[in-house]
Amino acid sequence: MGNILVIAARDDWPTDRVVKVLADRGAEVFRMDAAEFPQQLTLAGRIDARRGWTGGLTNAHRAVDLADIQAAYYRRPTAFQLPKGMSEPERRFAAAQARAGLGGIITALDCRWVSDPAAMSRAEYKPLQLATARQCGLAVPPTLITNSPDAVRAFAGDIAGPIICKPVASPVLIEDDELKVAYTRRITEDDLADLRGIDTTAHLFQAWIEKAYEVRLTVAGDRLLAAEIHSTTSAGQTDWRSDYQSLSYRVTDTPPVIGDAVRRLMRRLNLRFGALDFIVSPDGQWTFLEVNPCGEWDWIQHRTGLPIAEAIADELQGVPA
Amino acid sequence: MLAALAHPLEGFPLTAEGGSLPYSSEAPTGPNTRPWILRHVQRPDATQAIVKPAAVYDEQAQMSISIYDGPLPYMATHSPTVPDGNVKNPPPLDEGAKD
Repeated sequence: MGNILVIAARDDWPTDRVVKVLADRGAEVFRMDAAEFPQQLTLAGRIDARRGWTGGLTNAHRAVDLADIQAAYYRRPTAFQLPKGMSEPERRFAAAQARAGLGGIITALDCRWVSDPAAMSRAEYKPLQLATARQCGLAVPPTLITNSPDAVRAFAGDIAGPIICKPVASPVLIEDDELKVAYTRRITEDDLADLRGIDTTAHLFQAWIEKAYEVRLTVAGDRLLAAEIHSTTSAGQTDWRSDYQSLSYRVTDTPPVIGDAVRRLMRRLNLRFGALDFIVSPDGQWTFLEVNPCGEWDWIQHRTGLPIAEAIADELQGVPA
Repeated sequence: MLAALAHPLEGFPLTAEGGSLPYSSEAPTGPNTRPWILRHVQRPDATQAIVKPAAVYDEQAQMSISIYDGPLPYMATHSPTVPDGNVKNPPPLDEGAKD
């Protein structure tokens, strides 16, 4: 049986759950974080005409041969920890060498990826997600991405109902010694009256889709694990991330036509894991919002009992769905 | 001839050095320079914060274990994306690692 390489931050506790499932099944796991390189993790990879990349990844407690890695789980590794005493130019140089050397060999592994890191990076782009989802047969909200106030006003005029604004990228920042989050916001007439600042960067606007509830659909390989998310508050109904205490969850089924389209989407994005968000309208129509290639899933498993860690382990071990 | 423009950062994404969210004491600027969407930025509800149990990483088990008796840390907390507004404990980003 081959080894399973797990690449994640040490304090990523959901990854602990996957490691525990794999260990209980008797799988050989080698867990590492990029932060361990080069001071706690040694790389000695070789390639020649006879064989692909072989040689070891070694830490103080175990070693794995690159040629024996059958699968790799990639989840939020942290930056290389370089030796103290380097100058800033040396640090930049060394970090680039580490990324190209260690990262290059790891991404060259001919193994089952959950998911391929380059594919995860590419799939982070919401515009790409929306375009691909649409091509795969999923309904998407009418969307505008712009730095033009005039375009915002025109979009608001074209949409029959309300519109929302949400970040195109990360919603979180720290400023003024405080952590702040830009949640999804329903736009008011007052908001539209003063659009100063739209031209400072890209902004994303979408038609507001009437919802009965939302669905977090966690995908691991061909396994679809869907949970309804219901909120009892206005804030939670606009963006469930803003009011977790108001939420309740229920395991649900994915309609076959949606499931087929999601599998096409995942193939097109070359993802083997994703946390997808859908709005389900009062008449039962599913509208795709986004796919998070490295999305959170542990709390959904906790609240619903959906076997997500087990599904990720199945995918890493090549267990048929 | 077209050159490939993929940047190596995209091929092996890592959380940035110092954490996913750089700390800053800088105050917000005015409406002409501040991204419009940040007008309605919120501090996450601290009353919904989840206190993580003290833990250390066990090299043999390759997972975190509790400092005190009790369940494994992963069994004791299930933090969703934005648990609190503590700048010393920035939340994981639902979108994953960013450079």
